[in-house]
Amino acid sequence: MEDLKHLVLLMVGILVAFTVVMTMVAYTVLAERRILGFIQGRLGPNRVGPGGFLQPIADLLKFIFKEDIVPDKSTRFIYFLAPTIVTTAALMSIIVYPFGPDVHLPFTLPLIGGNTIPLVIAKFDVGLLYVLGVTSVGVYGIALAGWSSNNKYSLMGGLRSSAQMISYELALGLGLIGVILQSGTLNLQSIVEQQSGHLGITGWNLIWVQPVGFIVYLIAAIAETNRVPFDLPEAETELVAGFHTEYSAMKFALFFLAEYVNMFTVSMLATTLFLGGWNGPFVHQVPWLGIFYFLGKVVFFLFFYIWLRGTLPRFRFDQLMSFGWKFLVPLAIINIVVTATVQWSGVFDWGAKFLKTSTGWGG
Amino acid sequence: MLALLFILFAGMAVGCALSMVAQRNPLYSAISLIGVFISLACLYVTLAAPFIAAVQVIVYAGAIMVLVVFVIMLLNVEEEERQPVRLRTLVPIAVALAAVFFAETAFIIFFVQTSPATPTGSVSDVGLTSSIGTGLFTTYLLPFEITSILLLMAVVGAMTLARRGGLIGANVGVVPGYQSFAREVLDPMATTDLTQVEARTSREAEELLGVSDSPHGHDEG
Repeated sequence: MEDLKHLVLLMVGILVAFTVVMTMVAYTVLAERRILGFIQGRLGPNRVGPGGFLQPIADLLKFIFKEDIVPDKSTRFIYFLAPTIVTTAALMSIIVYPFGPDVHLPFTLPLIGGNTIPLVIAKFDVGLLYVLGVTSVGVYGIALAGWSSNNKYSLMGGLRSSAQMISYELALGLGLIGVILQSGTLNLQSIVEQQSGHLGITGWNLIWVQPVGFIVYLIAAIAETNRVPFDLPEAETELVAGFHTEYSAMKFALFFLAEYVNMFTVSMLATTLFLGGWNGPFVHQVPWLGIFYFLGKVVFFLFFYIWLRGTLPRFRFDQLMSFGWKFLVPLAIINIVVTATVQWSGVFDWGAKFLKTSTGWGG
Repeated sequence: MLALLFILFAGMAVGCALSMVAQRNPLYSAISLIGVFISLACLYVTLAAPFIAAVQVIVYAGAIMVLVVFVIMLLNVEEEERQPVRLRTLVPIAVALAAVFFAETAFIIFFVQTSPATPTGSVSDVGLTSSIGTGLFTTYLLPFEITSILLLMAVVGAMTLARRGGLIGANVGVVPGYQSFAREVLDPMATTDLTQVEARTSREAEELLGVSDSPHGHDEG
């Protein structure tokens, strides 16, 4: 009975988080088109609904009703499996992010036996590793999609993507180690709680301790999600559309969805690890503010992605590889060495104590 | 609940393992192997070892198998044809090894069932991150360091093998005939060097660049 209750609560939590993330992803697509339009001096979609507000629904209907074309010589089973893998891997990591602190409802819920609900679905001891593991599976979807389409452009896109994702996964993981060393835990909730600080701002890992780790993570994360300026796997001027050239209708929509969900989860991880998660002014007095701070920071990262897309040209493949291996990875390793030394020598603790006593700031 | 999950994931693991051996297409085998790894990771989670589970997925499913799939896709290995068994002498050895394996399994099951020690029922912290870290850097420090050195040797070995025969790869060739290049095209170490290099053959290009380590040419290239 206790198990069943737990299961029902988990299901409800997953459903709510899924709905929130999916809605935000749908409107990210719209926002991207409108913002890109603004950057490029045109309007973007503004006809469906007020200001184009219903455009995502129209897009979805179009995806559903399009004809589903399967290439004749494709490897059927893998061709169908690939979009599923990509979407599943992208969506699975949502459950470990703390969207906010424990919040209190004005009434008592019978199922929980109280009015306190945590705004996180699974309190996982190794949440960070779980995220890295789940996202690392997503690369199969892209590689297999490229291979099974039986199209050389798709294959090139899939191969480029595998090479790029393997290379940048390393930099991404190494960039995060600084934060792990700093907080001494892999639990995302504890990492967020440690960043509370003065007004919920001064304790952020970004400001105090991990600016280099943050930059390495951000660049590697953009490469991991195959976005501009690292969108070589689907470089349309060279490869038609890369790994999803042969996909149409809902299967293409799944790839499209996975790309945006990946952007979203990467932004959530950056927020959680570097920008203090749900921490912000007065969040301890009004816990419901936490979820707005969290989503607000995530939206900032999403805007940053779109901004980059409107601003930067694409890398060349050899530039991409040498940048990843010869610049980002060494930088991340230096960051780890410095963080470990500082952490071991206790200089940081001393500095934080000094700041706290002299200015009242710092965690 | 736990028993149900165990049956589910153990069944998945065994099913994927069988499919891995039975598939004729190497790519399907590789995908089945990924399935085995992921089911095993789920089993680790039910055994209260989330760290091992995460590492299992990151290292095996996420890194090693990606390389395997990569190689299969690059070589474009076709479906294997049904061939007569070539090494017939191996069949009795395989049977003997299978018998030993079954005997071992039976022995372990028998030993566990008759052992006087009963499980305490409490959740242990053996599988948690901090206890694994403490173990690795105190009790098992020497094996840990030796493993690190082994991996370092593998990295150095891979680099040595890849670099053999000058910096121009064995697959890269200069088309016969007179031509000139920017130096960065031929030499991956000089990325921004645009000096003009003129060459008629691959060998000549290597000698001009000073990357030819064997003046008598490569027999393997």
